[in-house]
Amino acid sequence: MNADDTSRRALLHERARSFIERAAVGMPTNESFDALGLEIARYQSEHVAPYRRLLAARRCDIGSAGALGDLPAMPADAFRVVRVAAHSERHDVAVFVTSGTTAAKRGMHALSTTETYERAALAWGGWALAPDAPSEAVAIVLAERSGRDSSLEFMLRLFAGRFAEEAHFAIRQAEIDMEALRGACAAALRKGGPAIVMGTSLAFVHLLDRLAGRRLELPRGSRIMHTGGFKGRSRSVAPAELVAALAQACGVDERAVVGEYGMTELCSQAYEGTLRAMMGMPTPADRHGVFVPPPWMRVVAVDGETLAPVREGEAGLLRIEDLANVDSAVAVQTADVGRIVGGCVALTGRAPGAPPRGCSLAMDDLLSESGE
Amino acid sequence: MLGEDERKRRVNGVLSAASRLADPGDPLGREARARLPAVTGLSPQGVQLGLVRHVETAVSDGEMKLLLSRAGTAPHVHVVLSANVFVGAVRALAIAVAAAPRVSVRSSRREAVMADLLVRALAEGEGPSAGVDVVGAVDPKPGDAVHVYGRRESIDAVARAAPAGVRVRGHGPGFGIAILDSDGGAAERLSWDVVPFDQRGCLSPRIVIFCGPSGPAKAFCMRLAAELGAREADVPRGRLDEEEIASATLYRETMRAAGYHIDGDSFAIGFDPSPRQLLLPPTGRHVHVACAGSPGDVTALLEPFRSGITAIGALGRGPAVQAAIALAPRARSPALGQMQRPPLDGPIDLRDVE
Repeated sequence: MNADDTSRRALLHERARSFIERAAVGMPTNESFDALGLEIARYQSEHVAPYRRLLAARRCDIGSAGALGDLPAMPADAFRVVRVAAHSERHDVAVFVTSGTTAAKRGMHALSTTETYERAALAWGGWALAPDAPSEAVAIVLAERSGRDSSLEFMLRLFAGRFAEEAHFAIRQAEIDMEALRGACAAALRKGGPAIVMGTSLAFVHLLDRLAGRRLELPRGSRIMHTGGFKGRSRSVAPAELVAALAQACGVDERAVVGEYGMTELCSQAYEGTLRAMMGMPTPADRHGVFVPPPWMRVVAVDGETLAPVREGEAGLLRIEDLANVDSAVAVQTADVGRIVGGCVALTGRAPGAPPRGCSLAMDDLLSESGE
Repeated sequence: MLGEDERKRRVNGVLSAASRLADPGDPLGREARARLPAVTGLSPQGVQLGLVRHVETAVSDGEMKLLLSRAGTAPHVHVVLSANVFVGAVRALAIAVAAAPRVSVRSSRREAVMADLLVRALAEGEGPSAGVDVVGAVDPKPGDAVHVYGRRESIDAVARAAPAGVRVRGHGPGFGIAILDSDGGAAERLSWDVVPFDQRGCLSPRIVIFCGPSGPAKAFCMRLAAELGAREADVPRGRLDEEEIASATLYRETMRAAGYHIDGDSFAIGFDPSPRQLLLPPTGRHVHVACAGSPGDVTALLEPFRSGITAIGALGRGPAVQAAIALAPRARSPALGQMQRPPLDGPIDLRDVE
């Protein structure tokens, strides 16, 4: 990559950040979603060899595309088997890996800068989790303080540093540290502002197990953010059940329990708008299970065979276009199934009505067997 | 407790019943051919292939000895069958009747035909019809055994629900692999392992590791595509379910980005000449071919998948094959072309056999 390419990359990041900053506060953006998306896709077609191959295989002429939706999306699985990055490894600033117990099974998302990621995550995380810009807030993070390769932990640390005045980490050696947790709750009560409790859905299930019916005492206005679901996990709890149990255990309104939908292969995240609704703030969706993407992220449900968009409200595989994904793939094709209503995403899990596949083994089964 | 002769007689009774289903001239064989396509999703030709080539109808003395030693004993065996590989009911029933004087079979909700036909054939024959029945739900008592076939969740659910003192033997999901260092007829043989049951079996090969340079490996992919195309003419693929279709689409797109993808009318081959890691392709006649430079590469590539490997097909016993066998020592290691015809020496899946 020569200097021109480097400056082109930097310029695209700058344009993406500008888009994010303006869109996040409802200001008109300097360019349209598709104009910037196509520009990023063109750059990626020149510098990301797997994307170039995909375009060639689909006989897709990127020059004639009128919208980002005209272009193929990079399957999320590709991040497992090839490097999907427009820059060389020596320019990696961060490499986020998907969860897993063995490195061989992990997908990797390499970034040349975390600034765009941070801008996107903070803007929409703030929209969903701290719309009231609470003062004296305390973050309680169900994650290890260290841990450099998980995008989720990176994001949680980012939020803890930005949305709260002090942060406590309540996982030690992969176990809930109840002593640290109680100390964090006490600190939050002393401080007086709300606690922002964040972690994976699985970590919260383990927390509920450890609490065994007891309650955490948290300050008024506290809120909870959970993420990750249970795909490939040995434990799973229905989302509604988890929300109810967390609200009960933490003494908060169920609407103060906010789900996040994101993935390692993306730089932006979608959230449930329940906390905003509870606070009387505008949100396109106000119920659990429906995720609101930020204006720089577009989610489309596509047909599992043709990958063409399905009608509004119909279930399909989720294709996600994320303008913050400058370094890798601006459009990612996931295996998640959901419905799009009013631009928001209702996750429905696996293909509806899919029967079990007998004794053949699926990739998810393998992940589950390894206890990831 | 059953005596050895009685156990053998009971196993042979099941095989006689299976022979009737395999016979297209037998009324039960005709009924099997009429009913199974709808419930298995296989084409009529796919059902015919399964009945004629993959139903066990005979057992050697050595295999019988092993089968009896692996069957265990119990007063009552409850069998929970999975769907898709319909012929699996024969082996499951043979093991169960060898183990217990009383056998209750619960079929999959999707595919209840094969067990029903087998039990009817047993009732009409001279085999162990008394004490073998089809049930809607298993209700084991302490001392009984439950043989569960299918997904890990199904096995875990049965194990959780079983009362204390019930022995649950789970035969979980898996997949086959093939290790090659040249073609040498491998493509044609492998195609006969991929096609049966539309690759939904736990022995069905889904990954091929080709030890050698990418040129010959790619040529092998082309030959395999030609062979799978030829098989398609005789044994069309049945219908895929919604999830299989979506998985196939995503696999195709992934391999277009990551390497090469060869699309057939009813099959697909993904080729990764320089794999960072392997992908397990979906069922429905999809084969993932990856290159390896050495037996060490084979080990490294297969390591994350070792718990799922049930069969290692090969043409010989070279160092790469040995490396794979060392990694998954309980997997069956048949010759290519025979991966879906394992000897009747116990459960198909030997990973959990003591």
